[in-house]
Amino acid sequence: MAQPLLKIENLRTYFYAHSKQAFVRSVDGVSLEVGQRETVGVVGESGSGKSITAMSVMGLISGGPGVIGGSIHYASDKVQKNLLEGLENYVQLEEGNGRVLTVKKDESGWQKASEKLMAGMRGKEIAMIFQNPRASLNPYITVGEQITEAVRLHSGISAVKEARERAIHWLERVKIDSPRLRYNSYPSGMSGGMCQRAMIAMALSSEPSLLIADEPTTGLDATIQSKIVDLLQELKNETGISTLLISHDISVITRLSDRVAVLYGGAVVEYGPASQLLDAQAGFKHPYTAALLASVPNQQKIRARANLQAIEGEVPDTINTPPGCRFYARCNQITPEIRDKCAAIHPELKDVAPGHQVRCWRFIN
Amino acid sequence: MKSIPLRILAITLLKELGLASLLLLGVSFVVFVILYAAPGDPFSVLLEGQLPSEQALAGIRAAMGAQQSWYGQYFSWLHNVLGGNFGTSLHSGLPVAGELVKVSLNTLYLTLGSMLVTLCIAVPIALYSSMRGHAVAISWPLTMLGYVFSALPVFWLGYIAIYVSVHGFDFFPLSSSGASDGNGWLYTLVPVLVLGLGSGTISEVIRYLREEMSRVMAEDYIRTERAKGASVWRHAFKEGLLLPVSEIIAAKIPFILGGAVIVEQIFNWPGMGRMAWQAAQDRDFPVIMGIALVAAIFVRVGSLIQRIVYTAVNPQGARD
Amino acid sequence: MRRSTRVKKYIQTSGEVSDFSKLPLHKKFSIPDLLYVGYGLLIVFLVLVSYVLGAFNLLPNDPQQINMDMLMAPPGTGGHLLGTDFMGRDIQSRLILGIQAYFLPGLLAIFISLSIGIVLGVLAGYRGGYAETVITYFTNLVDSFPRLVLILLVIAAFKPDIYYIMMVMGITGVPAVANAIAGKIRVLAQKNFIEAAIALGLRTRVIILKHILWYNCRALLIIQATLGMGEAILLETSLSYLGFGVQEPTPSWGNMVQSGANYFMQGNFWPSTAPALAILFTILGFNLLGDGLNNMLEGKRSR
Repeated sequence: MAQPLLKIENLRTYFYAHSKQAFVRSVDGVSLEVGQRETVGVVGESGSGKSITAMSVMGLISGGPGVIGGSIHYASDKVQKNLLEGLENYVQLEEGNGRVLTVKKDESGWQKASEKLMAGMRGKEIAMIFQNPRASLNPYITVGEQITEAVRLHSGISAVKEARERAIHWLERVKIDSPRLRYNSYPSGMSGGMCQRAMIAMALSSEPSLLIADEPTTGLDATIQSKIVDLLQELKNETGISTLLISHDISVITRLSDRVAVLYGGAVVEYGPASQLLDAQAGFKHPYTAALLASVPNQQKIRARANLQAIEGEVPDTINTPPGCRFYARCNQITPEIRDKCAAIHPELKDVAPGHQVRCWRFIN
Repeated sequence: MKSIPLRILAITLLKELGLASLLLLGVSFVVFVILYAAPGDPFSVLLEGQLPSEQALAGIRAAMGAQQSWYGQYFSWLHNVLGGNFGTSLHSGLPVAGELVKVSLNTLYLTLGSMLVTLCIAVPIALYSSMRGHAVAISWPLTMLGYVFSALPVFWLGYIAIYVSVHGFDFFPLSSSGASDGNGWLYTLVPVLVLGLGSGTISEVIRYLREEMSRVMAEDYIRTERAKGASVWRHAFKEGLLLPVSEIIAAKIPFILGGAVIVEQIFNWPGMGRMAWQAAQDRDFPVIMGIALVAAIFVRVGSLIQRIVYTAVNPQGARD
Repeated sequence: MRRSTRVKKYIQTSGEVSDFSKLPLHKKFSIPDLLYVGYGLLIVFLVLVSYVLGAFNLLPNDPQQINMDMLMAPPGTGGHLLGTDFMGRDIQSRLILGIQAYFLPGLLAIFISLSIGIVLGVLAGYRGGYAETVITYFTNLVDSFPRLVLILLVIAAFKPDIYYIMMVMGITGVPAVANAIAGKIRVLAQKNFIEAAIALGLRTRVIILKHILWYNCRALLIIQATLGMGEAILLETSLSYLGFGVQEPTPSWGNMVQSGANYFMQGNFWPSTAPALAILFTILGFNLLGDGLNNMLEGKRSR
């Protein structure tokens, strides 16, 4: 297989919770890959670390201590580098008893080194769209100008007029009606769906290699959600852009992803081809994935009048990590043979089929 | 940059002008009530130019057809004021309006200058301490210094400034003393500096600007701009600096005008504050009333400008 | 680690992950905030003690005793801890007695601002609509007058009396209180706090007095009151300079700075600087107390 466009290895991002005087391990050892022209969906409950993973890749984490370590290898035609190269030197970590005890971080040194590594990456190589598109656009500048700015920054087009035409072209491509008129609209004068289209236009206008879509449909009306997904699908086919798609909405993930990573408690618990992973009937499934799929309504279930199942228990707190599997307390598939292992040792990701990995003792012998 | 629709600006201007005139009407009424309630019937003095004796009073009033009722007095005074007739100073015998124009320009110079001083100090401190990863070792003492200057009596600061100018730089920073020798602006610099530092607003300005900037930096759209690789500063500037600065200027004009009363006194600055002090000493009602009205006009103009900046930055009411 | 001085250190508490309300004070709030508030409380305490000492005439020296042999003595000479002024009077005693000039008038100003401000603030925040428009107008009207100019107007019309002046100060302080309370109520309303209280069947009187004012606004009112006291001192100081403040020989910090300043050019700084420093430390204390408390309440951390 060719070199992946983005390869995240053992990414760790921690925050310090003042109210608890303790560290929250939002992302704790996430590893995943996004291949060329591939869409990887990242799914999980809120608090599982999906969005923090995306923000970490972009170097947008604010609030201490933030990204602690790992590596993010990026390899497009133009740029090949590790976005966290050498940054580990700025951090010292002390752990004990399943908790992080001290983190020493040279914030300014980290920031400077990180900015150097990210130079020419943000917007140009990696673009990002967010949830709540209306708040994510500058309310004081017209939508058109914001896209024009992105074009001028990254496309090598410096002439205002030309950049403007390009911006209008992109407004057209994201199917905004009368783009010339909309060019002069302020975000406050547009609907949420329209704002998200504009965001997508802005992100794609610089023709990046990777698009990170962080909950792109959250907070939009259901019908508009579906249209945004259609648009993303279409643009993906047209441009062949690689996408890291973050969503808690399984249906969005199903429609767009080639591969899927399931995040739980800051780590990947299952990673594999979308067709296998999201098929409720297929074997080799992490209990959490199974529970997640069982909690989603679909046509079959509605026809069969089956009950939807909620996942018992609460999202794990990532302050104290118990020695065993992080899903242990909520798992309903523990068999007597593996119970001891589940309680005592955190399982590794293991191949259960080609390109399909699961982090569960049931599949490790 | 697209130009802001003139129509929106015009509407704002009209609306704000209407509000301002309504407020100024209120101001004039408050002034009237205070003087009407005062002992010694100062209001008749105002309308008739001098303090008549009790016996003459009734006769004069009857002869001139002067108004007896309180609202009659108010409206005839208001009519005069609107016509530019603020009455005659009891002390100097000169028409108040002409004097007011002269002194208010001097005060305008002093207040605008000192505001500039305040902003020149407060903006860098506020921006620096609102930035992520700033050195607390630098921003904390600066903020503290702001607090100290705000807590010092401004006239004590003024005396220190005079002492330092005289003994340290060998010049006497009083505006009335020979400002004609080419570097007159030097003489005006010290009062401006003292008012800028000591009007009691600097720590509040720092705090407000810092909080607004930090708030804006945490906005979603700033995150978008960072993800886009655009200059964060360019995008944070409007909401994070331009609006708060215009707001704080408008809000602090009354305080600075109050401080100007003291500073003008110290440096013998021929402005409104000094005139107000003189008038209060002499119980020169026409003058003090005129000054109160002009000061209120200053305040209203300040907030008018603030509203216009707000509309210009924010043409569709993007944020409230 | 390259530059160890710039390294930011985050530490986890040992033992169980704690509940915020059970944390010790220095963990709950930032150290600067605690210092600010501690210093402010110390100043408030000193002011109260000085007031009592002055009221019962428990002063180290006679504040009015003129001693022509010891004019402007430096601190520590002849039993005068803080030296003497231009008439040889004991500065320390006069500083303590000077509080008398502010205390009751200041309280009057605070009382006026708070009582009217609370009523207007509750009306604006709770009722909204018509009441709010009227109150906004009133606020803008009061804000249109520079405070000192208004006071000069009142002085010209009536007489330079500290109680008149403090009444004006109280009224001009109303908008700040009213806005703070109205703002707080609006925040509470956004959180559906008030709907919830109404849905519980509480009476309006109980909601306003107990749940809004007592539980949610008391700290804010304390802050406004301390700031008001600080402003009263600064205002009296300014008026003393203008000759409309407390008149000699009754001491006030303002007239002490003012009369002492006449000897500045001769290089005699102390008689003016001592009260100026008293003002500085007191106002600083009040302001820091207000800001520190505010940060603690809002959950912000001082930088």
